[in-house]
Order: sequence, then C-alpha cells, then structure tokens
Amino acid sequence: MAVITTNLQDEALTETIANRVSNIPLLSHVASQLLAILGGSDHSMQDVVKIVETDISLTAQVLRVANSAAFYRGQDVTTVSNAILNLGEKMVTGVALGSCASRVFNSPLEGYESPSGELWNHSLRTAIASREIAAVTAVSVSTDIAFTAGLLHDIGKSIISEFLIDTADEMLSKCDNGLHDDFLAAEKEQIGTDHAMIGYKLACHWNLPEPISAVILNHHHPNDAEEEYKELVYIVHIGDILAMMGGTGTGIDTLFYKIDERYEEYISMQSDSIPQILLTVQEEFERTKTAVFSE
Amino acid sequence: MSVIYVGVGEYAVSKTPGDTIKTMALGSCVGVIFLMPKIRAVGLLHVALPDSSINHKRASEKPGMFADTGIPAIIKQIQKMGNNGKIIMKLAGGAAIMDPNNTFNIGKRNILAVRKILWQYKLGAQTEDLGDSISRTVSIEVNTGKVYLSSPGRGEWQL
Repeated sequence: MAVITTNLQDEALTETIANRVSNIPLLSHVASQLLAILGGSDHSMQDVVKIVETDISLTAQVLRVANSAAFYRGQDVTTVSNAILNLGEKMVTGVALGSCASRVFNSPLEGYESPSGELWNHSLRTAIASREIAAVTAVSVSTDIAFTAGLLHDIGKSIISEFLIDTADEMLSKCDNGLHDDFLAAEKEQIGTDHAMIGYKLACHWNLPEPISAVILNHHHPNDAEEEYKELVYIVHIGDILAMMGGTGTGIDTLFYKIDERYEEYISMQSDSIPQILLTVQEEFERTKTAVFSE
Repeated sequence: MSVIYVGVGEYAVSKTPGDTIKTMALGSCVGVIFLMPKIRAVGLLHVALPDSSINHKRASEKPGMFADTGIPAIIKQIQKMGNNGKIIMKLAGGAAIMDPNNTFNIGKRNILAVRKILWQYKLGAQTEDLGDSISRTVSIEVNTGKVYLSSPGRGEWQL
C-alpha cells in the first residue's frame, strides 16, 4: 500500500511540474523568429536586422549594448545593422532572450541555493564557452547556434528549483556517499524528473528549433542525443563544464556532473588548449556581462 | 570595516582592523591565502590558471590570473607592507568535474603549479581544502586571521 501511495504522489508531483511548464509565458515573436533563423542553415544579416527592427524595445536595447563601454568602437552606433556588426548576431539573440525570458533567467533558484542572476551568468558563460569551442575546434557547427544552445541549456532549472527547496542536505549527502552518478540522477530520485527533461518540455512549449531542444535534453548525457545533433550537444556539454570550472555554476549542483569522454569522437580538443580557452571565456564573459547589465 | 572582494585573477592584502577579504565561487581556481600574524595582516590571491606562458600580455596586465605571476606579485605587496615575520599559508579550491582521465582537471594543474611556486619562496601550506567536485567561497578576517570557506548547500566551515 505504501508503495502505491508513493507512486501516486510521484505521478502527482510530475504532473504538477509539467503544469508549471505550460504556465510559462511564450517567447516573444521576435525571439522565436531569431531562434528559428539561427537554427536553420542559411540566413543573412539582413534577415536578423529586419526581425530586430520590428520590435522597438529590442531595437533600443541592442543599440544600448552596442554603445556600451565594452563594445564601443569610437563612433556612436545608431542603426541596427551597425549594432549587429559590432555585437555579432549571437549577442543580439542573447539580448532578445535575456529580456523576453527574464522570468526564466533572472529568478533565484532557491532549490539550488542560487541567488537571482546566477542562472543567467551560468547560461551566458556556457554560451560563450560553447561559441569558443565551436570557433577553435574543427567542427561543422556554427558559432551562432553553439552560443544560443549554450544560453538555453539549463532553462529547466528555473522550473524544478521550487520543488527542490529544503532538499539540499539530503541530496548532497547522497551525492557525497556515492549513491548518485551525478546531480541529474539526484534530481530524478528526489522529484521524479530532472532539469534536462523539464527543460526539454519547456523547449517544446516554446517551439524551439530541434537542435537546441536536443541540447537541452541531452547536455549531461550527450551520447543519448540523435546522431545528427551530437556534435552540437557535445560542444555545449563541454561548454557547461568549462563554465562550472570557471566558478559560474548554479549553486548546489555545481561541478557534480561527469564528463562524457566520447566527446573526442566529435570535437578535436587537446588537453593543452583548455587553459587558453578558459582564459578567453573569462575575458569575454566579463566584457559581455558588464555590457548587458551595467547600463 | 569593509569587505574587499577579490575577482578572478585578482589579489588583495589588508592590515586594516575589521576588514574581510573575500573571493566568490572558486571552481577549478585556487585561493592562495597568506596570514602574517606579526603585522596582523592577511592576503588573498585568486589564481585561475597554472602558467602565464599561454599569454604573456595578459599576465603583465593581470598577473594574478596565473600561478607563476600571481604569487610573486602578491608576495611583493606583502613585502611592501613591511612583513618581517612568519607567513602562514592556506590553500582552497582546485575543484574538478568528475573526469576519470583528468583531461579537464585544471584544478589539479593549478594546485601543482601553486605548490611549486610557493616552494621557490620556501613556503608551504599549513592547511588545505582542495579538490572534489564542490565550489568554494573564501573569507578571511583581518582581526582574527580566521579563514572561512562556504559552499552552496554545505554551509560555512573554518579552514
């Protein structure tokens, strides 16, 4: 009888969490359009400009960031096309996502004991690391999609966090005693699901492009991804790890994940190159973080 | 009384009573802690990477980023403060993801580099809290010379 009760409780909890996903506001039309064209193979900068210009507040924000101290190049930027030239398309997507999904990115993750802003910082750092890996290693993945997928990989945490409140002691004690392979398994045991699965459900709710949904679902277990997305999923898997190593995690789960060594089949990355990548990521992270939030 | 925050690749020293020097969330980075009881001063360096040879320009702009340039830089500051007594060293951080082949274990490489450079100054750590898969925040009180570590979900403990 006790077992049946527990199962019913688990099912009810899983349903409650799934309902939370459907209550999250949809992405703005502009953000969805930007993601859709970045997820596709071919687009021009003019396509991005056209989309940004349809949204007055996004236009203003993009111009503000392009004129911020970190990106200023000696001349005021007054047009969206010049702003995109200065910032890069991926930063524009970052600005769009950061503003329209601020409820997801900027809420504190209480269940992870992580204050407001840390999820955004971790996401931004993972995005920069993923972009850097795509840029310096011989992969066919574009830096744009690596950045965007990195930005979105942990969105599930914003939903499951509240169901993990007051569980840190129990979860960490089990992790420390070797009862869980990683923190994803700890989440699964605690609440019947994990941030990757719930993030995937949110990705479906938001109608995100398939490669990005695949990253969200599989970023801790990249080998489970469909073959066509594995290169991108492994890039974000490593990008996430580099962000945590740099001290930008999301609280109690930070670093309690395993690296999947099979990344070598998809990304040619020598051990010697890791310090250089970490240094670049650190510098770019500081520059971008200040530009987006300081003014 | 103030809190001096030390960012990634930065360092600070203080002998102002009431000051606390703090660095947040050491992942694979190493916090190198200097206690100078004779002049009642403390210092903290947040090392991100082992070796400055990957970017000499960056090392000259921000020596604290690397073990081999950061340790000499903070020791110079400590000497300027007029320390003529013993230095007590403590180390924290150097964590890692679970990585059986140690390919990504920059934490371990940081620890080895820090120990090697300290050894050149005939310094060794009295206490350490290093490795594992946890992120650590370090606080040092100038008044007491006490060093506290904390980590999300694990509370605070003394080093």
